[in-house]
Amino acid sequence: MNKFLGNKTAILLFILPALLLYTVMVFYPIVQTFFRSMYEWDGLSEGTFIWFDNYTRLFQDSLFFTSLKNGLIFAVIITVTQIGIGSILAFAVADAKFKGRKILRISFFIPVVLSITVVCQLWLSIYNGEYGLINKIFEAIGLEYKQDWLTSSKSAIIAIAFVNAWQYMGYHFALLLAGVKSVPEQYMEAARIDGATKLQAILKINIPMMAETYKFCLVFAITGGLNAFANMYIMTSGGPGTSTYTLTYLMYRSAFRVGEFGYGSAAAAILVIECLIATLIINRLIARERISY
Amino acid sequence: MKKLAIAAMSFCMVFLAACGSAGNNEAVNDKAANEGNKETATNAAQEETKPEEDAKPVKLRIYAQYADDDTKLPYDYAVAELKKEMPNVELELEVQAQDDGQKLKTYAATGNLPDIFQAGLDIITTFKKSGNILELDSYVDELGFKDKMFPSTMNTLVADDGHTYAFPYAGNEFVLLYYNKELFEQNNVKVPTTYDELMTAVTTFNAAGITPMSIFAKEKWPTVALFDMFVTRNEPQGILKLDKGQASVSDPAYKEAADKIIELVKAGMLPKGATNLNYDQAAALFHQGKAAMFLNGQWEIAESTKQLGDKAGWMYFPGKDAANYEASKYAFSGGGGPGGYAVNPDTKDKDLTAKVAAFLSLKYAEYKYTERANPLVSTKVDKAIVTEYPPMMKQLSDDIAKITSTTSFAWGLSDAKFKAAIEDASQSLMTGAYSAEQFIEDVSKAVPAAK
Amino acid sequence: MTWMMKLRKNNPSMQIFLWLYAILSVYPLVWMIFYSLKNNDEIFVTNPFGPPVHLRFENYVEAWSKYNVPSYFMNSLLVAVATVAGAILLAVMFSYAAARLRWRFSKIAHTYILVGMFIPIQVIMIPLAILVRDLNLANTYGALIIPYIAFNISFASMVFYGFFRSIPIEMEESACIDGASIYRTFFSIMLPIIKPALATMVIFIFLNSWNEFTMAVILITKESLKTLPLGLLFFQGQFTTDWGAMGAAMTIASLPTVLIYILFSEQVENALTVGSAVKG
Repeated sequence: MNKFLGNKTAILLFILPALLLYTVMVFYPIVQTFFRSMYEWDGLSEGTFIWFDNYTRLFQDSLFFTSLKNGLIFAVIITVTQIGIGSILAFAVADAKFKGRKILRISFFIPVVLSITVVCQLWLSIYNGEYGLINKIFEAIGLEYKQDWLTSSKSAIIAIAFVNAWQYMGYHFALLLAGVKSVPEQYMEAARIDGATKLQAILKINIPMMAETYKFCLVFAITGGLNAFANMYIMTSGGPGTSTYTLTYLMYRSAFRVGEFGYGSAAAAILVIECLIATLIINRLIARERISY
Repeated sequence: MKKLAIAAMSFCMVFLAACGSAGNNEAVNDKAANEGNKETATNAAQEETKPEEDAKPVKLRIYAQYADDDTKLPYDYAVAELKKEMPNVELELEVQAQDDGQKLKTYAATGNLPDIFQAGLDIITTFKKSGNILELDSYVDELGFKDKMFPSTMNTLVADDGHTYAFPYAGNEFVLLYYNKELFEQNNVKVPTTYDELMTAVTTFNAAGITPMSIFAKEKWPTVALFDMFVTRNEPQGILKLDKGQASVSDPAYKEAADKIIELVKAGMLPKGATNLNYDQAAALFHQGKAAMFLNGQWEIAESTKQLGDKAGWMYFPGKDAANYEASKYAFSGGGGPGGYAVNPDTKDKDLTAKVAAFLSLKYAEYKYTERANPLVSTKVDKAIVTEYPPMMKQLSDDIAKITSTTSFAWGLSDAKFKAAIEDASQSLMTGAYSAEQFIEDVSKAVPAAK
Repeated sequence: MTWMMKLRKNNPSMQIFLWLYAILSVYPLVWMIFYSLKNNDEIFVTNPFGPPVHLRFENYVEAWSKYNVPSYFMNSLLVAVATVAGAILLAVMFSYAAARLRWRFSKIAHTYILVGMFIPIQVIMIPLAILVRDLNLANTYGALIIPYIAFNISFASMVFYGFFRSIPIEMEESACIDGASIYRTFFSIMLPIIKPALATMVIFIFLNSWNEFTMAVILITKESLKTLPLGLLFFQGQFTTDWGAMGAAMTIASLPTVLIYILFSEQVENALTVGSAVKG
């Protein structure tokens, strides 16, 4: 078996194309980012090597901490809602005898198919303080409660996170559905014969069997949240003021609006390290033994 | 030697222009050569003086704004005019992305810069350092571009360092506070001349269910402009003085301005969720008579006239008191700066490209002046106006001679770090949940040291 | 799974929730089509959510006349199909080796590939653009296809890795005993098992590529190679935007993907059933 699964030629043949392409097109630019984070550099001219000065500055910049905090809030919100609601939807729709299952499945995925620009524009209209839907509903039921959803520095990041959570729910739904479908039927039958309720079966059998699926859903949601950029770029441009900055936004502002590419690269480097730590923690937490059949 | 070369070049150009066509022996559509072989391209450009050109068709890449009537129509006009003047030159347009210069900077980094590109102060400053923008001084002289400028718009041609990097078309523009005369009359509100009267207007309109002042604060520059208008009551140079590092944001002029804005915002001067209103939403409030005042540049005159007719007007910004109002009546906010069509130093035929860029600028301004009712262009236009000025524009052009000082729009600030900070902080002021102390702290970190 | 049905009968609130959620998910599609038939005033002020008062088909005329829709469409399709094929093939091979085959650095290699998910594209745009130039890919389809494949490898590998890890080892043991080669085992035993994941990732990668804007706007300058999302550039001015026409452009770009998705989801459904049948 070891010989069978340790076939050197096969391993090289399988991994080399992906590794090569990835190293050249993705990893090499990342290395450049780390390298440039030690330069005072505007992105075009010759830079000056300044060791870790950018990092020292970063750790004294209140904007950096705002960005860091917003990234974490964003990641937590989208992880909880996407995986939570995504699981409910996936388990509900997994049943082959469920009527209307196809329509539901297609519907849940529609927001993902649309471009992020469309979805952000829609939610901008919904949240709008003057013309928005939410405030109109409050008005209609007679509440004089007008909330500045995107324009209060406290609620803006949460409001934006929910837009992302809602739009990309479909990804998690689809991945979890594929995960549910991969759990062999006989386990569920066995649970049913033992008299387990549906919830018990899901908790005791489905979810543990889907540990690998949950693992990548978690990594996907958390790193996606820490990386967040497009939503705030379209919806608030980081505002009001700086209250919806994330590390990516900080990088973008430093590099392109301020012309401090080196400083922006340092923010990006921290982001990569942050994501790496999050991934390692997830792997540690869900390090289960493979269920033997 | 250089002079001789220039003389030779201008001779070529005159000669060829007389023949009705000018050109380059190599078509510039071979981008691979343009990207990969900077040196070759430069050498080729240096050898341009060889008199062996025979008006072959030339293709130039151009990166320019082309999205709405205000950018599309003048561009199309300029291109059509170019076709008459230099029929062998074909322009390949790339539409400018609204991305803070990310695309253009990436082009520069990869040596893929278009031959001509629209550059603002930000791009000029960065590209000057990295050698990605051609210094145009010799062409300014040769083409007599200075004679075409107004004395008052020289600042749009010549940068702080005394050189020219782009052929301008936009002149010095202004921020105006528009108002709806009918709403003021109906609600018996006096057009404010002092802060106290402004506050009275805010409370009266709020009581009547009318938004006192509309602003599209999702874009950050109008918030900077509003702050700047308050500053100009005490400090005519406004934010420009901070940008140059000649003032501190904790100085009374700036602190008072921040305090005043916070006070007015808390009293309900701005619409709900102002920092998330885009132009269309904020303008609709004003155009539909739901907001009494509106802040925008003078280019809004056309649209407001169309929507509101005689009801629309613009007012001098209120002062601290009657005396201050009179004294600072003509201290306007806004201004202009270097910018316009710039030339890639690696373009194959620098002379030709520079000539095309200059020509486009002139024609662009000409169209804005004659057809778009915008007299605030940088260059003189000798053609008659086609579109009559609306009254608000007449009032402004009558005042132009009286203007005592101008400042700058946010995009005209030269210090990128300060620009980003003042934009973010001014927008925060509009939320009402941001203190003047916080404002001072956030901005002062970015105010440059005196130069 | 009949007990699931029983549960649902006892639990109508679940039904209601599912259908409400479905409506909430489909609304943006309807909204986008409404939007594409309105003018700025209706979109933002008078009627942001309801159906348009006048059907402004001129928005579509405007969008259609601004750029060469069929050419952009074909480019999008070509790039997306090539990206899907390349990324799926490379990722599935890599993740099989990382998840199932025995070699020393498999864990590290897996983490190494994951790092690609941690970096936002804006950060590495300039080095990437320089790379594309140096590899002589500028202004070819490769300028998009190659980076797209590379950037999709990370996510696809992570998903496939998870699915491969869930497969019992007996699968390979019996294949080995039957005398099948490792390649045969991979293609005829392992790939069919992860078909649900394959089908899902085909859709994901297709959408990623189809909707991608950030790289496309910078890496493609030649008109004849432009993809659909770049059409949006024609409507965004410095101060104003023609939102109605932009909505039309977005509808033109998105409707085909919705249709493709609906058609393809049938295949996913089949894949999901086949996937569990193999194991069941």
